Amino acid sequence: MTENNYLSLIIFAPLLGAVINWIVGKRLRSELFSGVIACSAVGVSTVVAFMIAFYDQGGALFAPEGKPILDQLWTWIQVGNFRADFGLGMDRLSGIYACFVTFVGLLIHVFATGYMHGDKSFYRFFAYLNLFMFSMLTLILADNFLLMFVGWEGVGLCSYLLIGYYIKRDEARRAAKKAFVANRIGDWGVLMGVFLIFTLTGSLSFFDKTVDGIQVQSSLNLLAAMAADPFTWGAIVAGGITSIAVLLFIGATGKSAQIPLFTWLPDAMAGPTPVSALIHAATMVTAGIYLVVRCNGLFQNAPTAMFIVAVIGAATAIFAATIGLAQNDIKKVLAYSTVSQLGYMFLACGVGAFIAAIFHVMTHAFFKALLFLGSGSVIHGMHHEQDMRRMGNLKKYMPITFITMAMGWLAICGIPIWAGFFSKDEILYKTFAATNATADATMFGIHVNTILWLVGLLTAVLTAVYMTRLMWMTFFGESRFDYVLPVVENPHKASRAEENSFATGDAHDAVATHHGHAPDDDLHGGHNADDHDDDDEHHEHLTADFKPHESPWVMTVPLIILAILSTVGGLIGVPYAMSSLVGAGDVNAFEHVLEPIIYKKSGAAHGTNEHAKVVEKNEVKNFYASAPASKTAEHATDGEHAAHSPEEISEERWLALLSVILALAGIGIGIAMFGKTPLRAMPKILEEKWRVDEVYNGYIVDPLTRLSRNGLWRGIDVGFIDGIVNGIGYFVAALGSVARSVQVGFVRSYAAFILFGALIVIGYFIYYGFKLIG
Amino acid sequence: MDFITEYFLSNLLTILILLPAFGALSVIGHQMFWKSEDKLKWITLFWTLLNFVVSLVLIFDKGAAQASGFFFEKNIPWIKAINTNYHVGVDGLSLWLVILTTLIMPIAIVSTWHAVEKRSAAFYVFLLLLESAMLGVFVSLDLLVFYLFFEASLVPMFFLIGIWGGENRIYAAVKFFVYTALGSLLMLAAIIGLYYLQATAAGIGSFDYVVLLDSMKAGNLVLGVQTGTLLFFAFALAFAIKVPLFPFHTWLPDAHTEAPTAGSVILAAVMLKMGTYGLMRFNFTLFPDASREFAWLFITLAVIGIIYGALVAMVQPDIKRLVAYSSVSHMGFVILGMFSFTEQGMQGALYQMLNHGISTGALFLLVGFLYERRHTRAITEFGGIAGVMPLFATFFVFTSMSSIGLPFLNGFVGEFLIMLGMWNSTVLDITDTVNWNYVATMLAGTGVIFAAVYLLWMIQRVFFGKITNPKNKRLLDLSWREIGLIAPLLFLMVFMGVYPRPFLDASRKSVVAVQERVLGQTSKTVAETNANH
Repeated sequence: MTENNYLSLIIFAPLLGAVINWIVGKRLRSELFSGVIACSAVGVSTVVAFMIAFYDQGGALFAPEGKPILDQLWTWIQVGNFRADFGLGMDRLSGIYACFVTFVGLLIHVFATGYMHGDKSFYRFFAYLNLFMFSMLTLILADNFLLMFVGWEGVGLCSYLLIGYYIKRDEARRAAKKAFVANRIGDWGVLMGVFLIFTLTGSLSFFDKTVDGIQVQSSLNLLAAMAADPFTWGAIVAGGITSIAVLLFIGATGKSAQIPLFTWLPDAMAGPTPVSALIHAATMVTAGIYLVVRCNGLFQNAPTAMFIVAVIGAATAIFAATIGLAQNDIKKVLAYSTVSQLGYMFLACGVGAFIAAIFHVMTHAFFKALLFLGSGSVIHGMHHEQDMRRMGNLKKYMPITFITMAMGWLAICGIPIWAGFFSKDEILYKTFAATNATADATMFGIHVNTILWLVGLLTAVLTAVYMTRLMWMTFFGESRFDYVLPVVENPHKASRAEENSFATGDAHDAVATHHGHAPDDDLHGGHNADDHDDDDEHHEHLTADFKPHESPWVMTVPLIILAILSTVGGLIGVPYAMSSLVGAGDVNAFEHVLEPIIYKKSGAAHGTNEHAKVVEKNEVKNFYASAPASKTAEHATDGEHAAHSPEEISEERWLALLSVILALAGIGIGIAMFGKTPLRAMPKILEEKWRVDEVYNGYIVDPLTRLSRNGLWRGIDVGFIDGIVNGIGYFVAALGSVARSVQVGFVRSYAAFILFGALIVIGYFIYYGFKLIG
Repeated sequence: MDFITEYFLSNLLTILILLPAFGALSVIGHQMFWKSEDKLKWITLFWTLLNFVVSLVLIFDKGAAQASGFFFEKNIPWIKAINTNYHVGVDGLSLWLVILTTLIMPIAIVSTWHAVEKRSAAFYVFLLLLESAMLGVFVSLDLLVFYLFFEASLVPMFFLIGIWGGENRIYAAVKFFVYTALGSLLMLAAIIGLYYLQATAAGIGSFDYVVLLDSMKAGNLVLGVQTGTLLFFAFALAFAIKVPLFPFHTWLPDAHTEAPTAGSVILAAVMLKMGTYGLMRFNFTLFPDASREFAWLFITLAVIGIIYGALVAMVQPDIKRLVAYSSVSHMGFVILGMFSFTEQGMQGALYQMLNHGISTGALFLLVGFLYERRHTRAITEFGGIAGVMPLFATFFVFTSMSSIGLPFLNGFVGEFLIMLGMWNSTVLDITDTVNWNYVATMLAGTGVIFAAVYLLWMIQRVFFGKITNPKNKRLLDLSWREIGLIAPLLFLMVFMGVYPRPFLDASRKSVVAVQERVLGQTSKTVAETNANH
């Protein structure tokens, strides 16, 4: 067990930054001060994270057998045999996460200092952003489930605060609440899953460790060592490993916006764009994948849960992609694209390709952060116009933004050498070739995995189409800055319906919340100073001769760095089938780093002898030459045979070629459809997002609200229970007035009633007591 | 000096009870001689603060953490004819509740600094007497003395609501009084019943809790199944109404809504805890068999209360009433944890009592601040308040997060332990297909989701958006007095969330003792049970 007390610096530096900004930054109101504090706080985290991951004591990423580097701070809760520590741990998985989260986070922080320039609550924004980094890094580096849950809920809170950052906007505050509640539903699953883990293993720790002289066992190891559940639906409710996996996955669907809890993420775009890039694309939403991969030993023992994960992932991927086709708000397109890409990652987890999932998490963090920041740059240059129908030909005005975003576009479409190609292709190949428990299951006479693979392919085409549409509407064609949008009934009908439903029977409330322009609201005259405070992203009507401007360097530099990463970042995980094409041998460093954290179940073959050799070589190179390294090698060799057989390699190559062709076809379709007619009308049902919000509101939220108001409150509480209470009171009062024919007050009659009742009861007890004596 | 210190320490609990009563006398005296009301609040504040400082001595005594028995015990004969003693003492169960009481009182008093206009002398006298009575409830170990304090606490609260309350105050006060007095009268009957049973068993009757408990443990006083059940319910009804447990909760929204801010804060923070404390202290240990037998009933009602309270809170048009219903939901968690009869659940329940006192107390304070400014609590009257009262909005959101149970704030620790305890409990049936303990926990867990819904929805409508009501445009943010009031509570929310160990350690021994008693096991087997889960 290796200790490193600098680990806590990674999480506490941003926390300190948040506190300083909240207390000092608030007084100074200096953008320079707040920006420098926030960025340097994350900068410290980044440096320390990279140091520990790559260099210190040989680097956590190369530690033998994937052993973690630990940092025990204090025992948080200890009751009976239950204990949860405030302890951090960085192993290979959390090391990779920590590195890309801090690095991408840093870039987005820098970008935000430019994007948020001129905002009245600059300090507040950066305090929240730093607080988010603290929560996210706590989530990643926690060494037990409970502390991870702290980060898990913490990122939810920060997401709530940042979505609702423009507090005066109706859609922002609604979206914030919606995000929090959807996350909470998921959190319920995580919490219950954690209880069950504790019941089954008596521990919540991720790693074997010794605290205060007490041996703490790793619950993950214990769960992975248990016998696998059978592949049956009954296993879900049996209270075993499958139940845990399903409960945890409920949490993942909330945090990572999967069916059925995905509706909050597109609405979350009401927050500032850097927030969308950081939280709702690159980091927080991938926490669900982190959880699943962290528990991969558990999931491998739960084939039913794996099947559910794969199906939900594939369904979400294609479902969100169809919606993304028809959105006009540039951020909404990217939001649905994120939901869709997250679906891919779950698909990968579901078929057992955990490393591919994490690989896609990382490349996606690069190119999606790039695309969001690019869209932020566009929005900034367009004076806060987000509707793509009013853009066009921006490549002329914003060349850097255009070129960098084009890199992101190629990456997400899956064009070779760009990062997204390797990760997405690996997922598709692994889905096709999966040998999991469900591999033999068929549907309509086709293998389930084949169906999932076809869905994945189709999604890849759709992705290329909607991304091409986005690029063409934004950067090509004629500029349409003064385009008059067709009158839509109400762009936020769904969320309004939700508001309405809560407010039924409260007409006054409905008026107050809905119409920002109540008669006495002096919208135009008498602006209070604070009226301007928060709505800096207000819309302006642009004129035809409007000239968008390129963004300042603090914004373009992060774009350029991310564009480079999106272009070459995938090269650290090139699969053997590709690298051998150019005679490079096995260079899949990413897979080798993560291999030890994936539990090997007997029968499931991963890796090869060749792998083992490379692993060994890595270990030797990295200061851990002796016994543990060779042990790892043996471990990897166990029961493995020729995963790199020539047939499979050629199969993988053909499939890759197929997906490249499909991606190019998607781009072609996109250009053909939207090149000349960027404003082509899309199917209404897609534009209305399949009306999922309406269904949720109509069938869940509304009935529940009505039940609560009319059934429980007015019916049972006020009607029934109080009716009885008041009835008794009335009865006694009437009795009293008849009996004594004197006017008595309520209090006295109640008192009389009490006395009367008490006498009877006391009498009974005395009688009873005497009976016992006698 | 030693003599004084010794005298002080040996009579500490009596001093704690008497100081506020003495303060009440001084308020009356001041009123009689000077006929001026402007100094009264300072005098009251002085006595409550003094009492708080004195109560802190309890923490620094090591007794609580080491023994499961009572410390600072005092036992002197009171009425010899019926063998009733003035017997007081604290242990891990009551320690933090005593300190919570003394902490909340000064805060409650400052919260109404400018709000009480009529008959302020009487107002402060009632508050001080209330403090004496509440402290008496938590420390008395003689059932008759306990009963007297339990009833005595009703009277000042009745007048606080009835005289200084809102528009519908008379109805609310009477409802409050009738509900709670009715329940506790049955308890009196049961106490007398126990006295006679002990008289039969041991030759001499007793009201002394410790005597009765020892007599039961020694096998002298044996309650039959029927007797035990009857007595159990007589006690439990009194406490269930106080908690309040569904369906005895309808007095609470009225009482809370109509009470002045100080009254609401005290009611939520301290008085509701008298019910849960009583259940744990008396019902579990005096009637362990019946407690086990009927745990399913209380768990069922608790789960219903958690969900029901949350759903009804969701649709309330009045902020204060919303918080009141949220209390029904939160106190359901406390009952749930207690009746799980696991160390985690019971410790969590005890911890959650403190958390609820702090968080809900703080919420009522904050609602009171708003009410003082606008004289309305209707949600529809507000909107966009965050723009003019940013600090207030920050504190409100923070407190709500504590109430919602966000990790690293106090509420999470309590709720987590309660649910963990219930999950691992064996109180409910475990069949081949269904473990009802899991089901109860899963249902209770939905209360955590609903808590986010009702509080955030209220926050969204009250604080965010544009200011639509011109009356809200000139609202002032919090004054230093108000910040000073809420700050200690905010600090406690964070501290108790991040570092709960000192609190849990102090109550551990006593809780385990109760657990042993109620499960009818020796300490060894209980320890094993705890370890084997």
